[in-house]
Amino acid sequence: MNPLETSLRQEGRRRVAGNTLAFLKNHAPFDKMGAEALQVFADKAQLAFHPAGSEIVGPAAGNVRFFYLIESGKVQARQAGEVTVTEYSILSLGAGESFPIGAVTAGRPSTNTYTAVEDTFCYQLPAEDFLRLMASSPEFNLFCTQYIASLLDQSRRQLQLQFAQRASEQQTLNSPLAGIGSRSPVSVAPETPLRAALEKMSQAGVGSLVIAGEDRQPVGVFTRSDLLDRVVLADLPHDVPISQAMSANPFKLEEHATAYDAMLAMATHGIRHVLVTDAEGKLTGVVSERDLFALQRVGLRQIRQSIEGAHNVEALQHAAADVRQLAFNMLAQGVGAEQLTQFISALNDALTRRVIQLNLDKHNFEGIDWAWLAFGSEGRDEQTFSTDQDNGIVFACPDTDAVDALRQRFLAYALDVNKDLDRCGFPLCKGNIMASNPQWCLTLDEWRDQFSNWIRVPQPEALLNATIFFDFRPLFGKIELAESMRRHLLAQTSSNPMFLRAMAHNALDVEPPLGKIRDFLTDLEPDQPGKIDLKKYGSRIFVDVARIYALATGVHNTNSVQRLRLASKRLSIRDEEINAILEGLDFIQLLRLQHQYLEGEPGTQGDNLINPDTLNELDRRILKESFRQARKLQTRLKLDYQVN
Amino acid sequence: MFSLKKLLFKAGSPEHLPDDVRAAIEAWRNLPAPELDDAHFHVRYLVIDIVSTGLNPDSDELLGIAATAVSQGGMVQPEDAFYLDFASFDGDSATVDRQLMAFLQFAAKAPLVTYHVPYVGGFLQRLYKERLGINFEPQWVDLAWLLPVMFEEKSHTLLPLDQWLELFGLEAGGARRDAMANTLMLARLFQMLLVRVTDKDITTAARLIDESRASSFLRRTH
Repeated sequence: MNPLETSLRQEGRRRVAGNTLAFLKNHAPFDKMGAEALQVFADKAQLAFHPAGSEIVGPAAGNVRFFYLIESGKVQARQAGEVTVTEYSILSLGAGESFPIGAVTAGRPSTNTYTAVEDTFCYQLPAEDFLRLMASSPEFNLFCTQYIASLLDQSRRQLQLQFAQRASEQQTLNSPLAGIGSRSPVSVAPETPLRAALEKMSQAGVGSLVIAGEDRQPVGVFTRSDLLDRVVLADLPHDVPISQAMSANPFKLEEHATAYDAMLAMATHGIRHVLVTDAEGKLTGVVSERDLFALQRVGLRQIRQSIEGAHNVEALQHAAADVRQLAFNMLAQGVGAEQLTQFISALNDALTRRVIQLNLDKHNFEGIDWAWLAFGSEGRDEQTFSTDQDNGIVFACPDTDAVDALRQRFLAYALDVNKDLDRCGFPLCKGNIMASNPQWCLTLDEWRDQFSNWIRVPQPEALLNATIFFDFRPLFGKIELAESMRRHLLAQTSSNPMFLRAMAHNALDVEPPLGKIRDFLTDLEPDQPGKIDLKKYGSRIFVDVARIYALATGVHNTNSVQRLRLASKRLSIRDEEINAILEGLDFIQLLRLQHQYLEGEPGTQGDNLINPDTLNELDRRILKESFRQARKLQTRLKLDYQVN
Repeated sequence: MFSLKKLLFKAGSPEHLPDDVRAAIEAWRNLPAPELDDAHFHVRYLVIDIVSTGLNPDSDELLGIAATAVSQGGMVQPEDAFYLDFASFDGDSATVDRQLMAFLQFAAKAPLVTYHVPYVGGFLQRLYKERLGINFEPQWVDLAWLLPVMFEEKSHTLLPLDQWLELFGLEAGGARRDAMANTLMLARLFQMLLVRVTDKDITTAARLIDESRASSFLRRTH
């Protein structure tokens, strides 16, 4: 090609691009982008025509090769498959809007089908140029990041919807009787002798008995109050059949009737029990008045009052169950993971404080400065539904000879507290990180020395301890003691760069489970194939990095979100970047909460193992993006601390 | 522009062309024509528009050529475009010849798409004949004649370009468009036309060119 032809071609291209530029300048986010970035777009974007009704890109087209920007016309995005994963099932896009940002960023097939609903012209930018543009233009990057963040947002709302449904099933009076009350009521045949029937009631510890024939059709009910009127006062012999003492023709409702129906029936007929039957009239359950009361919501204030007014561990046990229920309600009402975990922590704090106070009745530490410390996730205000105890005690003892005697008193006290906490649903720590362990019941000076030792000699064990004990928070007692520990810690770490480097090295041991071929690596836990440990390979990565940056920048907070926010300000990391990272952490935490609540048996310890295949399409995408954010955070740490 | 007319139409003559231009003409003549029996997807169409001082190819002057390729399945390719501006030209006669050759090399005998072939083709034919001694007879696709045949529901008679743009809901882009903006508008009409003709089973470039020829012939003689 001769130079003259080249220059005339260049002029042609410049003018075609000029036409595209004129369009871009009228639409966000391009109107804010630099001239150079816009030129890249205009030089590379081809204009294509899509007649009304034609599919532009969809899941079947394989990995998305272009970023599409609508020049004119209308495009409809329709969720592929039967399950709706975003809040919209159909979304209409017009001139100046672009798609499919998530898919082209990730280099995978689109989950939506994009169809032109009118004759449509689209600029299409090849994926490699799109990625180049993302890398070179901060404005464009922000736009795409925010878009993906809004996907996160949508998914969160979707999660909440699920919770809300589950919550309303549990809580409202509109839920069917099939899910309420006893599913295996105690029943006897009508010819059962009275005495045998009463024995059965007594053994089962129930207040009512259903009398049903061989066909399992209920014919009557016998309750404790019947015992007085119809047996004792009526002088009924104990060998007559139960059918003579029962209330015949019991009130029955079918399974699909609602709790409201049951409540109405109880009020109308003055009864305390309603029998539940299937369509054939066979007994399937009993709903009592008490079951219906349990549907009522528990409120934050009642819980706080009941915690603060509790005089014994039994009362606190009830409160602990209420905390769980309320946390669940809040999850359903759309409270984010950050606030929710802090909320759980706050109520758990109140509970723990009450346990500590109650035990002070039996132990007297008058005139001694001491504080109860929380470590680990409790210390970070990041408790999920299942968290075991991590605690310790710091005390001041000016008289060195008296230290050991005083320690023994604290240990005895701590043992009582630890046991009570266990009864309230905070299991004892398997690693024995508890105040009743002499190792973690120390004077202020001992704590300081301990911290200094770990920092000076960052052996593996010291580093592990650092990840638990450096996230401490005073729960009760003399706050100043903990503050003094914190000042000491921050002074030590900032003067020991080697320690932070060792911490960084440690934090990079575990990588987010992103696969090169598949989306996720699910075989990292040998005894849990197909599952991902969301704590070990997810939230902990954020938490570890947050700790290092907090120590490096002198941040006093222990909460990971606050640590990252404050440290990033001090390190001049852009807000958008840190927000995207925090969204990622928030999402992983929310998934953990969801998993622990929805999948765990009520009242048991939930785990953090999820099978990504059971997540819906969007959650999987977002989880992947969240792991990417974790990796981004690690990359940054790697660079900052020169760890390879 | 005082000497433009002289420069373009009188100064040169095929006998006195510079050697490199003669060689280029020879090379261009030997260039094989692209395969036109291929599906539209594989064909490189060139959408072209010109600027002139008036509408009469015999007496008015050509001021510029703007062209862009529509290829790879009917897409406007910014990297495959051409713009020649005589209006701001200040070179010698040999440069004019070389520029005209550059356009031929760029076009590479691709089928040309424009609005109203007698106008656009008329100017180009005269210029290439007079300056380079070339009979410029490319394969034409004439939107002016094809649109009323293919989009009968919009109009079945010849219309000025702006009215077509309006019927298709394309923004005409203000009062005056430069040659490239106009070319890009034509490109859009052509993109829509490509989809329509494919629906009507006109699937190759050769058949589209035939259709264009037939439509203008039928219209003129009936």
